[in-house]
Amino acid sequence: MGAVPQLVVSTVLLGGVYALIAVGLTLIFGIMRVINFAHGEFLMLGMYLAFWSFTLWGLDPYVILLGAVPIFFVIGLLTYALVMRGVIKASHNVQIFTTVGLSTALQNAALVAWTGDFRFVRPWHSAVVIRIGEAAFNLSQVVAFLVAVLFTAALVAFMKWTRAGRIMRATAQDVEAATLMGIDTDRVYRLAWSIGLVCVGIAGVLMSPLYSVYPTAGLQFVLLAYVVVVLGGLGDMIGALLGSLIVAGVEVLGSYYLGSAWKEVIYFVLFIAVLVFRPAGLFGQRGAENLGA
Amino acid sequence: MLELEAVTKRFGGLTAVKDVSLRAAPGEILGIIGPNGAGKTTLFNVISGFYAPNAGTVRLDGRDIAGLAPHHVCALGLTRTFQLVKPFGNLSVLDNVMIGALTRVHAVGAAREAARRVIATCRLEAFAESRARSLPIGLRKRLEVARALATQPRLLLLDEVMSGLNPTELVEMIEILRRLHADGLGLIVIEHIMAAMMRLAQRIVVLHHGEKIAEGPPQAISRDPRVVDAYLGEEFVLADA
Amino acid sequence: MKRDVPALVLFGAAALAPVVTRDGFLLDSLILILLWGAVSGAWNVAGGYAGQVSLGHSAFFGLGAYSAALLATRWNQSPWLGLLVGALLATVAGLVIGYLANRLKGPYFGLATIAFSQVLLILASRWRAVTSGSEGIPVPFRPGFATLGFQSKVPWVYLVLSLAVGIYLVARYLETSRPGYQLAGVREDEDAAEALGIPCRRLKVAAVAASAALTSVCGGLWAQYVGFVDPFYVFSVDLSVRFALNSIIGGIGTAIGPFVGSLLITSLETYLRATFSDFKAGLIGIYLIIYGCLLIVVVRFVPQGLVGFLGERLRAMGRYARA
Repeated sequence: MGAVPQLVVSTVLLGGVYALIAVGLTLIFGIMRVINFAHGEFLMLGMYLAFWSFTLWGLDPYVILLGAVPIFFVIGLLTYALVMRGVIKASHNVQIFTTVGLSTALQNAALVAWTGDFRFVRPWHSAVVIRIGEAAFNLSQVVAFLVAVLFTAALVAFMKWTRAGRIMRATAQDVEAATLMGIDTDRVYRLAWSIGLVCVGIAGVLMSPLYSVYPTAGLQFVLLAYVVVVLGGLGDMIGALLGSLIVAGVEVLGSYYLGSAWKEVIYFVLFIAVLVFRPAGLFGQRGAENLGA
Repeated sequence: MLELEAVTKRFGGLTAVKDVSLRAAPGEILGIIGPNGAGKTTLFNVISGFYAPNAGTVRLDGRDIAGLAPHHVCALGLTRTFQLVKPFGNLSVLDNVMIGALTRVHAVGAAREAARRVIATCRLEAFAESRARSLPIGLRKRLEVARALATQPRLLLLDEVMSGLNPTELVEMIEILRRLHADGLGLIVIEHIMAAMMRLAQRIVVLHHGEKIAEGPPQAISRDPRVVDAYLGEEFVLADA
Repeated sequence: MKRDVPALVLFGAAALAPVVTRDGFLLDSLILILLWGAVSGAWNVAGGYAGQVSLGHSAFFGLGAYSAALLATRWNQSPWLGLLVGALLATVAGLVIGYLANRLKGPYFGLATIAFSQVLLILASRWRAVTSGSEGIPVPFRPGFATLGFQSKVPWVYLVLSLAVGIYLVARYLETSRPGYQLAGVREDEDAAEALGIPCRRLKVAAVAASAALTSVCGGLWAQYVGFVDPFYVFSVDLSVRFALNSIIGGIGTAIGPFVGSLLITSLETYLRATFSDFKAGLIGIYLIIYGCLLIVVVRFVPQGLVGFLGERLRAMGRYARA
């Protein structure tokens, strides 16, 4: 079948970027046990960062990528101090509405500041098409994929082999024990939150040449990220990577056979199905039923 | 009244309850003891319907209740309390008990009256209007019992209602339970406080690593070498004294 | 009953308003305050009283709006029938969501409800054959009571007021009845409630289904009043959040809370709309930014909402006065 190579390539490229979004989300959830309803808005902010840098200063998104890391880290520190710190120990409802409120505020701040017009970031490489055999893809897609994979790999390595990473994983497993061991859990949460935002902010920058930029761009991606995270098992990074490939695959196939109009329906239905039938994820052990445990 | 036969409950690789059989006659006080992790609370969860057993039967008055939903089991006359008490924190003590009463008494007014009577039996009148969240642990335990009592059970499963009580509260709780027993209520009591168990229970079942290792009257149990082994002997020396 | 005094004051004032003024703008504001209060009250049945926090209630609102609009335009039926059909459809949807509520906890339920509302949005905006797709459906104005076509706003005030009072009474019923008390138990601690003989699953599903039906009736009336159904609005996440927002600000789990919340929020919105009428895009954003921040602040510092907060203050003063 002629389409298979193309479908596979599209899936892999798309999966790489989704992985970056999901990995940040699963980190936040795995360590803080908070569902961040505002995650998509930081993606949107990443996209706008790329747009304005490109439009005002002619900076290519891949250049601004370097700047995005410290920028989003600082945004993470600020939002943690102002918003999240106070609700870490609060009930689920309080946490839900806190991040929902954050989401609403950010979305509409973008709307007020930059209007609802669809914006586009089209640097030279977004028009370059590479062909290998039967598959054609966009240079921007490839770079996005490579950077995403690199970043995710770096993050996984960080969590596994550095002292800070081990401390974070310990806190994720047992907060009380971590505190008794002298771990400053506040710092751990702050770091997890900020790293999570850096991931999704970078994803936004990487995705800006590939999608349109508008204030509510985050919504569809955040739901998708949650499908990935739940599929892969909450807090499980490798699971997030695998889940990204699966979701990307479903989306690519869905688009191909049913047209892109219905692909959104597909992954919403997939999401509900996963939550209901496999809440522990396909690979993970912890899951939706253990929220707050 | 309650018959368990060869009940087994597994969680993945762990067998929490293994092949346990026991009987509780109507109006009897049966005690269940065992070291931590022996499977006592798991057994309660199986009996009351929170878990379905992997094997074995649970019969209440001859009727198989294994796997029935907990609210159904309660409707059939068996109510349980929780080791870590679960008060309806934001509601008053009266409302807490009334919600229990509403299971049997459908009219709100009548349920409230029934709740007041139960509150009196459990000596909680002074706190009827207090928010459950504001109560100290001793009173919370009593509330837990009162609320369960309001459902008019024939068999009440009490999970460590004595732990955390000071000596005065302990004496009061034992008195309340004795009076309930005198009125014909059957009790199955999980307890760690051996002195209390010795005074209260008519028969005791001992669990260890999920299996029943001994059964009999309190005096016999305290001398049983297998039981002394499991508990390292200390608590029973105290009980004897 | 003492507790109903604030409601008597609020609803009484609303009832008297058309007598005192005939100003179109003021009456319109009043109608919207009552209508949004009613929807939030309907949300509160599931979110506040049953503890099932849904972020996708716009699904039911939209179902009601579309039912009313479609029955009126496509099949030439009375919008009253549309309200009924909408309520039935929403009840079925509510049973599905209720089933989900039993499987999913807290934020996961919230996410699933968002997903559900977005599925309906996509269906409504793409299914051109039935719903005219993304263009939406204009609702025809046909004079008469049967067709809910009123020339003046006054009948609307009383119609919406009746709905509001109805929903308020449903909430009060939940505060004083057997199912209501049992639901409070489910909300406080589900395991304990189950052990006490309360059929938790059944009650949760019933609460969500009832909430859905009431929400859809509000949607149907709204469609008739406003005259246009736009899928991107009626199924939006923003709208779902707004239903919850009113209840949280006013007092989640209280009968009058959603109406108090709506009074504040809708008034603020109406005021901003009127003041900044030329800065169109800017205005739409500003009050929503305020709502977002308000949500964050209220949920953390005044979680019991305005009504709960005032209630505690009054009780504290009462104790102090007595002592």
